[in-house]
Amino acid sequence: MLDRSIAEHRLTREPPVLAERRRQGLAMYEDAVMPTAADEHWKYVDLDFTMETQSLPAQMGVKMAPPTGVSRVSASVVDGFVAIEQELPDGVEIVRFDEIAERDPEFFSSVVAGRSDDIFLAGNAAFAGDGLFVHVPRNTAVAGPIVIDIQSVSAGTISFPHIAISLGENSEASVVLIFRSSEEELVVAPVVESTLGNAARLSMTSVQTWGRKTKGIGYQRVRLGRDSAMKMGEVGLGGALGRLDLSVDLDGDGSSYILNGLSFGDGEQVLDYRMVLNHRGRNTSSNVLLKGAVEDEAESIFTGLLRIEENATNTSAFESNRNLVLSAGAKAQSVPNLEILCDDVVCGHGSTVGPLEEEHLYYLASRGIGRERAERVLVKGFFDEVIDKLPSQAVAAPVRDEVERKFVAAQVAGRLG
Amino acid sequence: MTPALDVTDLHASVGDIEILKGLSLQVPFGEIHAIMGPNGSGKSTLCHVLAGKEAYTVSGSARLDGQDLLGEPTDVRARMGLMQGFQYPVEIRGVKLVDFLKEAADEAGIDPDEAARRIAESGDQFDMTRFLTRSVNQDLSGGEKKRSEIFQMAVLRPKVVILDEIDSGLDIDAVREVAEAVEAMRSPEVGIVLITHYSRILRYLSADRIHVMMDGRIIESGGPELAAQLEAGGYEAFRAQLT
Repeated sequence: MLDRSIAEHRLTREPPVLAERRRQGLAMYEDAVMPTAADEHWKYVDLDFTMETQSLPAQMGVKMAPPTGVSRVSASVVDGFVAIEQELPDGVEIVRFDEIAERDPEFFSSVVAGRSDDIFLAGNAAFAGDGLFVHVPRNTAVAGPIVIDIQSVSAGTISFPHIAISLGENSEASVVLIFRSSEEELVVAPVVESTLGNAARLSMTSVQTWGRKTKGIGYQRVRLGRDSAMKMGEVGLGGALGRLDLSVDLDGDGSSYILNGLSFGDGEQVLDYRMVLNHRGRNTSSNVLLKGAVEDEAESIFTGLLRIEENATNTSAFESNRNLVLSAGAKAQSVPNLEILCDDVVCGHGSTVGPLEEEHLYYLASRGIGRERAERVLVKGFFDEVIDKLPSQAVAAPVRDEVERKFVAAQVAGRLG
Repeated sequence: MTPALDVTDLHASVGDIEILKGLSLQVPFGEIHAIMGPNGSGKSTLCHVLAGKEAYTVSGSARLDGQDLLGEPTDVRARMGLMQGFQYPVEIRGVKLVDFLKEAADEAGIDPDEAARRIAESGDQFDMTRFLTRSVNQDLSGGEKKRSEIFQMAVLRPKVVILDEIDSGLDIDAVREVAEAVEAMRSPEVGIVLITHYSRILRYLSADRIHVMMDGRIIESGGPELAAQLEAGGYEAFRAQLT
């Protein structure tokens, strides 16, 4: 049961703009209901818990060991509570929501737009511990990556991390988000909002390696200003449920968004990607490539909508979802979609679902490569195409290792085919 | 001396249809042999059956350097030293050519340093260096794909090479280039079989023997003059002369 009094107590000590946000979140939360698989947006997903069975973390749990493969962590969010390091890369300001909401409420509201259209977003607004606010001032290029380590550790909880990233006009930054959790049963519903000012450039790499009893229900919202560009890398490997609801608004003329992502599900994992890209400005472009593999009884879901609005002339938008289904009991659902309200566009979408191609295996065999090794080479190649394009190559090696570990485990256990 | 490839009375059928009807062929080490035949004569089937593609019922014998090939799966035959060059090499997105070759070399027991040396050397020789870090066969022209097949063999050094219609779909400059690459591969350690419909590639390399294949058999073997005869009269006229 989520204790309303915790939220009510928190808002008495917060700056007005933040308190008001919390109040509204609470009201929305009271009216919200748990989604079911009957909702189109939640089709194929069995949430298998209720808010009554979860509790709110009272404080930050015990931190996990530092993550491997990345340089210095700039900030951690543990069970929804924020810890900011002393030393940060030059050029970036990282503060808690209450600090920025006190100092510059208008700026805060322009970045933390918030959405409360479902129970988890409302819950996040109502019950979030602290929020983490990352700001890069205009004309500033941040030296080095901003690494944010988002951990969930306390058993039986539902936590609500909230991260807002604001890039001022003509600024540049690289962000690495690490989502991980303990092996306890828990739920986490993180929200990440990125707002890019005119001509800003953001590279973001998100690596999700949640524990196998974690149900993760993530949200990302991106708003792109004129001539701004975002490059996103997305890796989904962990969790009983690993969901990402991504919405990108290409508001500014000339803005662009590129996403390269991969997921690999095994056991009974459900990896769920829902994307909506709204092309609103003129001369905008997007390119989405998401590759997934599933084995054993895992299931992956992709729904991707490219929406081109009436005045979005000269739009270029492509999305591609490629799935390897490696075991008979595994499933991949792929539903790419276009909604085009403007004539002057170049759009494309495609999806594939299937096993490794026999023709490829035969070619490798003709060079003396045996079946098992050929399968490994092909799966590695399938993912390398995406891993090579992750904006932060610091995470590439551990991601490659984990993908290979998962595949070899399936191969050794004889679950392929 | 044991021939590189020794095929005796090879039969192959798919279901009730017999495609190879008692084919015999000997290719000594150091030689290039061309098998010429019209469409439907069984040329591609010969290639598939020797490489071990499933779906055929096979009898007879095929030996590589004295070792029995039939009955072994494709990858084992390749490691024994038989390699085929494909008519349409498949594109494998994401697998880099250099990684692919290193895996194949490792599987064949070639020392990694030696493999790297061969890749560098043959990469230069066949002008493939710039393709090493690209995906296998992806975005290559027809001629580049065929050159890549030969480059791969130059690295892996099989004892028998079977090139299936390696000249098909190429313009004349590319045919010449590929022919030169085949000629460059000639060595006392390898026997090369070139399967082709047309004689034009034979103008740019010196085949030691020409075999004419029709109706699932070799019906005539001879020197390069056979190619000229075929060129002049076509396959049916050639058959008519024989009977």
